Amino acid sequence: MSAALEIRGMSKTFVHRQTGRREQIFDGLDLTVEHGELVAVVGASGTGKTTLLHLIAGLESPDSGTIELGGPDRTPRLGMVFQQPRLFDWLPALQNVELATDAAGIGRPAARDALEAVGLAKYARSYPSVLSGGQRQRVGLARAFAIDPDVMLFDEPFSALDELTARRLRLLAQDLWLERPRVGLLVTHNPLEATFLADRIIVLSGSPARIVAEHRIDAPRPRQPEDDDLFALHRTIVGQLV
Amino acid sequence: MTISQSDVRQDAGRPRLPGVAAGPDGAGPSAGPGSGPFDRDRRLRWVLGAIVPPVLLVVIMLLAWQLMAARMATPLVPRLGEIAGQFGGLLHTSGLWTQVGLTLERVGIGFVIGFLISVVVGIAMGRSTLLRRFLEPLMLLLLVIPGLVKALLCVIWFGVSLINPVLCVVLAVAPVLIMNIVQGVRSVDDQLVEMADVYRLPGRVRLFKLWLPVLAPYLFAAARLGISRAWQVIVLVEIFGLASGIGYQLNLDFSNNNVAGVLAWTITFALIMTIVEYGVFQTLERLSGRWRKEAGA
Repeated sequence: MSAALEIRGMSKTFVHRQTGRREQIFDGLDLTVEHGELVAVVGASGTGKTTLLHLIAGLESPDSGTIELGGPDRTPRLGMVFQQPRLFDWLPALQNVELATDAAGIGRPAARDALEAVGLAKYARSYPSVLSGGQRQRVGLARAFAIDPDVMLFDEPFSALDELTARRLRLLAQDLWLERPRVGLLVTHNPLEATFLADRIIVLSGSPARIVAEHRIDAPRPRQPEDDDLFALHRTIVGQLV
Repeated sequence: MTISQSDVRQDAGRPRLPGVAAGPDGAGPSAGPGSGPFDRDRRLRWVLGAIVPPVLLVVIMLLAWQLMAARMATPLVPRLGEIAGQFGGLLHTSGLWTQVGLTLERVGIGFVIGFLISVVVGIAMGRSTLLRRFLEPLMLLLLVIPGLVKALLCVIWFGVSLINPVLCVVLAVAPVLIMNIVQGVRSVDDQLVEMADVYRLPGRVRLFKLWLPVLAPYLFAAARLGISRAWQVIVLVEIFGLASGIGYQLNLDFSNNNVAGVLAWTITFALIMTIVEYGVFQTLERLSGRWRKEAGA
């Protein structure tokens, strides 16, 4: 069974180092993500979307409240796709993926399989600097999916790419996501991306941030980017954001 | 699974420079066989540009020395022949290698210990503001204390034991290395460290796959400075407190007014430094930076 994510009464305040100014990002946030569910988090800049992912990933600690990643006997494995691919420039593509599989205790063939799954098998020995932006992000996707994560976090994964490349990678991410049920959280500025990929969209707003709207997307998968229903829903969300 | 590959870079038809062949996957350039006349010319130009200037400098310096020695005609400025004779004499005795071996052993042990301590402390200081603030005054103090004082204190405290020269070398190289590593760590992209945290990369992997590659340029710069400081203090320690090593031999020839001997030992010292620079540092630097060449970075 895959992990489920449950956040209860989570609060987080940052204190600005120089000015000492306190900024409360969350005050008693509740959020549950079911098994096999991909939840998109949208909202204006500064509403704590990335902080939410950092808290789940353990990069930050909440001041109060709990974050529970329940599920299988072992500690849930966490995969994350960042806005920038965050690759080691001094390692070839395959070794970048193997870092994650080695750390997760998964055999190295998984790294090669993942690279093959994202269409970069023949670039395994290429260094990131000779790959295009889209290819580098594919390596980032391969690294995240290679460890067969129970929880997958996407932090604006395609926002640094041109729209055509981003569209291809969204389709690829959808394919990889459909391989098996996981818990997923997608932070994005792009409501269309959220409607295309997610099962549910939550809209964060205010300071401290709270969930001001929620939309369930029941469209069957695989979805198509040109789907009229998805586009209509995207317009509704945009209306709530502006 | 549907896979779209159309954003894969297509560079098969890209024009290439002569002598540069496609990489194994066509993803980037790699060095070609280099057998054409173009490559021979280029290699010759490289050899002329890389070898001739330093050799020319040495020749000019030798000629100037010989001219000065001939004009001054004093035992304080011996001619090249005398120095060469002394150096040749040293080469034909086992003493040279014994003394060089002893000094190298002292510098080597001290440098390796200092290097290992510096990598750990430097990374820790770079990552922790509190630790940096705590240890920085000590590092600055160690940096400004002259090598002579360090050597004297080590001789006073540890006498003729191996601890004396080794500790002195550690004290000479560690502050230089640590301060450089701290600067290097602060230049590391925090996003990469975050990625390492998310994927729970173990400490050993972080050290060898993240920190050392990022810190390599800082480490080489610091190691060069550190090794020169190590040589300065080891000579002093051997002069003041030991009865062996290059420093002791230098002092012995100085006491006997044997300037040619002093210069012969100095040449030995310079040759060792050349071997360390070209044989060790530049080789390691080339190996650590090999990915740049392969990546075309």
